[in-house]
Order: sequence, then structure tokens, then C-alpha cells
Amino acid sequence: MRTLILDVVGILATAGSLFIVSSGLTLVFGAMRLINVAHGSFYMLGAFVMTTVAANSAGARFWVAVAAATVVVAVLSVVVEVSVMRRIYASDHLTHLLATFAVSLIVADLALRVWGSGGRSVREPSVATGAVSLGGATFPAYDLVLIAAAFAVGLGLWLLLTRTPFGWRIRAAVDDPELLSCTGTRLSLLRTGVFMLGAALAAFAGALVSPQVTVAPGMDTAIIVSAFIVAVIGGLGSIPGAALGALIIGVAETLGASYAPSWSSSFMYLAMIAVLVMLPSGLLGRAER
Amino acid sequence: MTVGLATTLSGSLAQLGQDAERGVELAIADLNAKGGVLGKQVKLATEDNQVTPATGTANARSLVLQHKAVALFGPISSAVAAAEQTVAAQYKVPLIDFMANDAGLQTKTFSKYSLQVVPNTTMEPRAAADYLATKSAGKPITIGTFAPDYSFGHDSVSGFIDALNALHVNYKLVNQQYPPLGETNIAPFLSKLVAVAPDYVYNAQYGNDLVTFTKQAQKYNFFDKTTVIAMYGVQELGELGDQIPAGTIDFNRAPFWVMGDTVTPFVNEYKAKYGQLPPEWSLLGYTAVQTWAAGAKKAGDFDGTKVADALSGATIPTIRGNITLRSCDNQAEIPEYVGVLTDTPDQKYGVPLWQPGSAFTAPFDKISTSC
Amino acid sequence: MNQPVRTTLQKHSERLVPFVGRGPVDVHRRPRQVALRVGGVVALLVLLLVAGQVLDIARLLTLEEALALAAFAMASNLLIGYGGLVSFGQAAFFGIGSYTVALGWLHWQLSFWLALVIAPLIGGAVAGIIGLLALRSRRLYFALLTLAFSQLCYVLAQERYTFTQGANGVIGPMLPDSLIDPRHAYLFVLAVAAAAALVLWKITTSPFGLVLRATRENRERMQALGVNVFGHQLLAFVISGAFCSLAGVLFVVYSQSAYPELLDWTQSGYAVYMVVIGGMFTFLGPALGAGVYTFANQYLAQHTSDWQLILGLILLVIVLFRPDGLAGLLSPRPWRSAARRLQARFGQQEDSTTDTTDPDRTTGELP
Repeated sequence: MRTLILDVVGILATAGSLFIVSSGLTLVFGAMRLINVAHGSFYMLGAFVMTTVAANSAGARFWVAVAAATVVVAVLSVVVEVSVMRRIYASDHLTHLLATFAVSLIVADLALRVWGSGGRSVREPSVATGAVSLGGATFPAYDLVLIAAAFAVGLGLWLLLTRTPFGWRIRAAVDDPELLSCTGTRLSLLRTGVFMLGAALAAFAGALVSPQVTVAPGMDTAIIVSAFIVAVIGGLGSIPGAALGALIIGVAETLGASYAPSWSSSFMYLAMIAVLVMLPSGLLGRAER
Repeated sequence: MTVGLATTLSGSLAQLGQDAERGVELAIADLNAKGGVLGKQVKLATEDNQVTPATGTANARSLVLQHKAVALFGPISSAVAAAEQTVAAQYKVPLIDFMANDAGLQTKTFSKYSLQVVPNTTMEPRAAADYLATKSAGKPITIGTFAPDYSFGHDSVSGFIDALNALHVNYKLVNQQYPPLGETNIAPFLSKLVAVAPDYVYNAQYGNDLVTFTKQAQKYNFFDKTTVIAMYGVQELGELGDQIPAGTIDFNRAPFWVMGDTVTPFVNEYKAKYGQLPPEWSLLGYTAVQTWAAGAKKAGDFDGTKVADALSGATIPTIRGNITLRSCDNQAEIPEYVGVLTDTPDQKYGVPLWQPGSAFTAPFDKISTSC
Repeated sequence: MNQPVRTTLQKHSERLVPFVGRGPVDVHRRPRQVALRVGGVVALLVLLLVAGQVLDIARLLTLEEALALAAFAMASNLLIGYGGLVSFGQAAFFGIGSYTVALGWLHWQLSFWLALVIAPLIGGAVAGIIGLLALRSRRLYFALLTLAFSQLCYVLAQERYTFTQGANGVIGPMLPDSLIDPRHAYLFVLAVAAAAALVLWKITTSPFGLVLRATRENRERMQALGVNVFGHQLLAFVISGAFCSLAGVLFVVYSQSAYPELLDWTQSGYAVYMVVIGGMFTFLGPALGAGVYTFANQYLAQHTSDWQLILGLILLVIVLFRPDGLAGLLSPRPWRSAARRLQARFGQQEDSTTDTTDPDRTTGELP
């Protein structure tokens, strides 16, 4: 029982933060067919801005810092979108990969200049300090924050896409961008909005995980591979798919570390290969046009 | 005359590399102030290996062939040290390791050009095990281990387990985790250890990794039930600030605060120059330079082979007193230190160090294996 | 049927010429151009040979690394540029080559010379298995599958501690005595890299290479013509894997070690980087890219902390404004033609069933 509770909390907490990052990646891909390698950079920037604003103070400042990190990175992402992304939407995936890879190199360098190479850390908010005991199992209270945040993001995205005009337009853009532009929607504005939303989700995830990890350069390349795997397993472009993919990776990582520790990192890639070989568009994805 | 320091100055180990560089620089400045070595001023060339063996190899070669370095001072990671050792042997230049301490450096990749002025991964865990054997006093205990996933981590853990066996400690090994070096998200590894809550956890991490471990483990109230045994140094303690886990057993390669009055002038000089207390790596870097200088003086020459031969078996005066490099594997006959962490500031130095009276010096002949 | 196709494809082949030549030439018709081109290659080789004697050791070592990476980039470009198959997993084969030498030495005292022969065979065999599975996917999903396979190799190298020594890598005197001297080692790397380049050049100009290029341009039409597209692409994948492994062996001569980062996806990313900045439409472009990358990396890292910024900006500028890479700058061909070729290529990738009216395409000439 004790192990079960620990495993379930561990899986959900891991899956939660992965879902938030991957949802942004998959949203951008779904709406614009854009592969964004720089997504990990927005995640890292979110975490770095978080360390600066929150410093080491617990309490309400934590939530202010999360909001600040999300907003600052969202604004920065507009600069990237206008200066780089707009020029390459019409190009192929290789161009997308390379241009966003270039952006990620540039961001990594600038982040190093601003925040240095040392590790930084943030204290968790005062409501979620220390440990929680449940059924004999002890786990960090902060894990519950991550799980709650993931549910909130999932619900928020669902409402946004199904209940708001902005969401309808995004879904229409997925189906037929040409037709959408005929209806008077300004496609470029919509794209900027989606790109900004994707970056904001990455930054939000980065800010949220900052009390859990050491915030340092290299966070970007580490997360982007996991985020891609999650999105690809679920099906690129599908937000429920990202949730499913995150759960699968959460299970693979957590149980892997328990039962086959020396093989744990392999499971993630094996899962991705198995899914892609059998279902080339992922579990819930649509075949690429 | 140029000597080379091929260490890590970027990434997650950058801080340790900087500490080392300061110690080496200070030692060279002091040598030059006293007229240099064999009448020649000494110059330092430094290169950054980015914790990559191939870069370490390239750096060592460029230091020897390009900068004409007559001696090399070793890097942080044992993996890179092994790579640099290969180069040192090829070009017959002494390589003095003062950070990397994998015992494999004195067996697998050993040559007479490799010298070691830190306690190696047989000695270091043995000292911690000695301490634990006394503390547990025959009672059954459960043990977990947590170490970076490369040769140093694996060898340090197996050194610890071997020592427990040799000391007939009544232990049960309940969980072992090997997170990658520099891994920022250790939650999947740590939660496994938390689930079994061992009485003691031997942790072979250092630098940022150890700080991350400590902060994360505190979120599980881990230090309430479990006593951690790890290598907390001046930098780690400084970074933890008010989050220092009091009661933790600390094994340390060069804690100036228990090494006696001989190191006091060094501590004062360091503090005056850099405005902080000397981290272990600075002190060890200083002794490494002194070791080479003594070898050159003894040989009366800068030639690598002559210096290496002169140093093997020699006794050298250093800031920590005389040290002898035993001739079979060029290991310095120095002790390892163990103590217990406290969160109240030390009376003499004003920062939290060890609990008064907890320091224990594990002498060389008790913790080393013969060769 | 066969003959007209060949003629058309030869026109395609004109797009891929060494940048040392003077723009598009037809091998069979203009001996003066051929002589110029051969002269250019010979001059380059002589230059590299002389460099091996006169350069100081530090620069010589960087050049040696650049040569190993040039072989890696050219082998990768067989897929990327010639096959239109963007693989993000070539590092796996590069690493397999390095590890063949290192693990062979560590576990079985395998001689380096034997490893040099075996490594491409192993790399080719593994490529065959990966290719069988990955080539069922197209474009983006192909890139992602190759990425997953190479990451799997990476974590295996890292986690199989007892066999591979984990993150440490394998380090030690694995090179034969004759390759210890840096100048000898350099000559050896130069000779093997040049031989590999020659063989790759022969492959790309062979009928197989021409068909491969044609499948890149128009997969459906080649299929309709009865060409076994999958078979050609698989063979290209195997050949590229084998040569990447050979490049991995050359890298060991430089590094004297093998370690997991050689198989990491960023290593594959840098291969693509070298190909793209050098120019994927020219045979030697990727080699130029490797040279620029290695020296830039080495010297920028020494003189400025902003090397990532500079490498990133170079890539961004090339992707946005100069898609034919640095080699394109050396070619006197008008800029517009390069842009058109690129548009043709990208238009093709977006939708390979419809033809545009791009004049550079060969649609109308097919029977």
C-alpha cells in the first residue's frame, strides 16, 4: 500500500509537469505544423526568471514569481515569433528544426550571460513545504501542487479550445488555414497568439518545477527530448494525447526506477519506438497531411 | 617554466574547478615570490575540459605540446583524469591528481607519471565506514547508497561496502541508486530511497549534485529518520545556508578547521586574497603545486621522468605538513577526516562547520590497502 | 525506358558538384572543367598534407578532429542532402564506430586495425535493422524515429555500466604505437577520410546515387517507374551508417577514448548543423561545414564565452537567407537559382504529388 501510494503520487507528479510542457509543444504543432526545438528554451527561461523573482523567499511571492515568469517568457516568445518564426511557417520541417535549434542555441547563450553557470534553487511556497503522510507513505507536499496544476492546465486548455472564439479559430486553423483566412481571421495574429500560448505553457512548467530541480543551463536540452517523446507517443497535435503520453512516460520512469533501475532510461525510448512503428501518428494523432 | 591545469571550468562543476584554480594560482604566486623553482618563474596555463574525456585529452596534449607544460595538475572527474593520464604517460609528463581520486587511476590507467595527493576511493569510504562501525557498535542497521553514475560513484560505493564487510558491520543493504552526474531532477531516484527509509545512506555526490540531493531530501523529511553520510565541503555548506542537515556525517578530504595550526597561514592568506574561507579543493591544489615544486628541486631538473622518479617515495614539506608519496602507486600517505554537521556557526570561523568534538581523523595506514 | 531516365537524372547530378569546381558541369562533356575540378581536389589534398607538416600541434589536432567530423558529415549528407532523408540519429553509428575500437580493446584486446575493418560492418548492420523500422515512416516521423533509436543507443552506452563503463566512457592506450605521434595520426586520419570521401563520391555518382537523388525529388514517380524506393533508401541508410562508423573510428584516433555523449542526439544535431552550414547541395559542402564548426567551436570557446550565440546566429542566417550553405557562397551561380532549387525542394516536401512549374525541375522531360 505504502509503495503503491508513493508510486501513484510519483507517477502523477512526473506526468503532471511533463504534460504541461508537452501540451504547449503539441498545441503549436497542431495549429501550425511547427516543430519547435526552442520550446525547451522557454521552459528553462521560465525557471530562470522564477529564481530571480522568487529569490529564496517562500510565501505569496512564489505565486507572483510563477505569474511573472509566464508573462515575461510569453512576451519574449512574441519577439522570437515575429523575427524568426514568421519567415519559416511555409518551409519544411527541416527548416523548422534548424531555425528553432538555432534559436535555442542563442537563448542558451544569453541565459548563461544573465544567470551564469551555477545552479540556482527556489523554495517551495509555504502552503506546500515539507512532507505529507498518507497511508504510511511520505511524499513531498509540493507533488500535490504539480498534480493540481496539470489538471488545471488540462481543463483550461479544453475550455479554451471548445468554448472560446480563439479556440475555435485554432481548431479551424488545424483543419484548413486557407479557408479560415477567407473568413476574415488574421492568420498571422492567430499564429502569434498560439505561439505565445505554447511558450507560456513551457515557462509555466519551468517555473513550477523550479523548487524540485536545480535550475541550471542544460535544462533546455534535457527537457526537449522528453517533451517530444511525450507528444509523439500521444500523437503530435493532440492535447489528450499529450496527457496520455505523459502518463505513459511517468509510469515508465517511476516503475523503471523501482524494478529495473539500470534499464530505467531505456523504457522511454522503447515506448516511443514501439508506438511509432505500430502507429506512425502516435496513439491519438492524425496522419500528417 | 609553464605548468598546466586541465580542469572543468564550465557547467555544473564550474565552481569546484574555480576553487581548484585559485589554490593552484595562489601556490604558484607564493613560489614565484620566493624566486620561483630552480631559479625560474612558474607560469600557469589553464584549459577547460567541459567534463568530456576527449576534450580532456585534447587539452592535456595542447598543454604539453603547445604550452610546453612540464607538469599537469589533474581535473575533477576521474573519467577525464584517466584520459589525461594516458596523455601524461605518452609524453612523459607528471600528472598530479588532487581532485579526481578513483582508485582505478592507480591501477587500470596507472603509470609512474601519475601522482595522487588526495585520499582515493578505497581510503575515503573506509574512513566513513570506520566511523559508522564505531557508531553502530554491532547493532543491526539498514544501509542505502546514492552515487553519481560513473566510475568514481561506483567505486566509492563498492569501497564503502567492502569496508563495511571488512569491519564486520551488521548491515543490510536495502537500496542503491545511481543518478547521472549533474542530473537536475533526482525525484525518481530519491523517492525509491525514501520509500525504504534506511538507517544510513552513503552518498558519494559532491558539489551542486549534493546540494540538490540535500534540498530535495528535506522535502521528504528524509533527514528525520535517516542519517546521511556524505562529502560536504565549504562550498556545499555555504550554499545550503540555513538548510544544513545537522547530524549528518561528513567525510572530508581537507577540512582546514581540524587540520591544525600548520594550515592557519594558508587559511589567512586565502581569506585575504579571495574574501572567503578556503574550500578543500583550493587547499589540495596548493599542495599539488608544492608537490611538483619539491620534485623538481629534488631532481634538479624539470624533465618529467626525472621529476616523477624523484617524487616516488619522497617526503615533501607542504602547508599540511610533511607528506610521503608511497613508491608503489604514488599515493600520498595522508589521512581522511570525518565529522558531524551542525547548523550553529563555528566559534572560530563564524560559519556552521562540524559539531565541536565530533572530528575524527582516520590515519592513512588504517584506511589504505597495501600494494 | 531506361535510357531517357538516365539522361534526365544526369541533369540532377549537375546540382551536386564539389564547391571547388566552377558551378554546374557535365562530367562527360567538358574535360576542361573536369581538369579544374580534379585540380582543385588535388590542391586541397596537398594543402592538407602540407598543413600536417607545418601546423603546430594544437591546430593540427583541431584539424584532425575536423577531418573525422568531415567524414561524419559527408556520410550523413548521403541521407540528408542526396536522399532527402533527414536523420537525427547518425550519432548512433558514429558512436558505434568509436565504441567498437574502445570496447574491442577493453574486453578482447582487439587490434585497432581489425576494429577499423569491423566497425563499418557493425555500423552498417545496425543501420540495416534501424532502417528497416524507421524507413517505414516519412519525413518528420522518420527524423523522430531515428532520434529515438540513437537515444536508445545512448542510454545503453550509459547504463550498461559493466560492459561500457557507463558515463565514464572507455579510456586508455587503445591506439597502436604507430598512431601515437600526432603527425602520423593526422596523416592516417587524412588518408582514411580522403579514401572514404572518394568512395562516397563514387557512390553518389553511380546509377544508385542518381536513383536515390531522384527518389528525393519525386518519390511517387520513381515508384511508378518501378524503382524499389524503400530498397534504395535502406541501402543508402546502411551505407551512411557504415561510413558514420568509420568516421567514429577516426574520431578515436583523435580522442583516444569513447564515451556516451558521442551517441547523444545533440551529436546528431551537430552533424545536421555541419551539413547545413556547409551546404547540403554540394558534395564537399558538409566537409567545409565540419571544418568551420570545429575551428569555430575550438577558438570561440577559447576566446569568448559566447560561442553558442555565434554558432546559433550563423545557423539562423543560413537557414533564413542562404539555404545552400557556405559552399553556395563559393559557387558563382546566381543566388536566385539556389533559392529556386530550395523552393523546389521544400515545395516537394510539403506535397510531393503535385508538381509546380519550377524550371529547375525535370517534370516535362520525363517520358
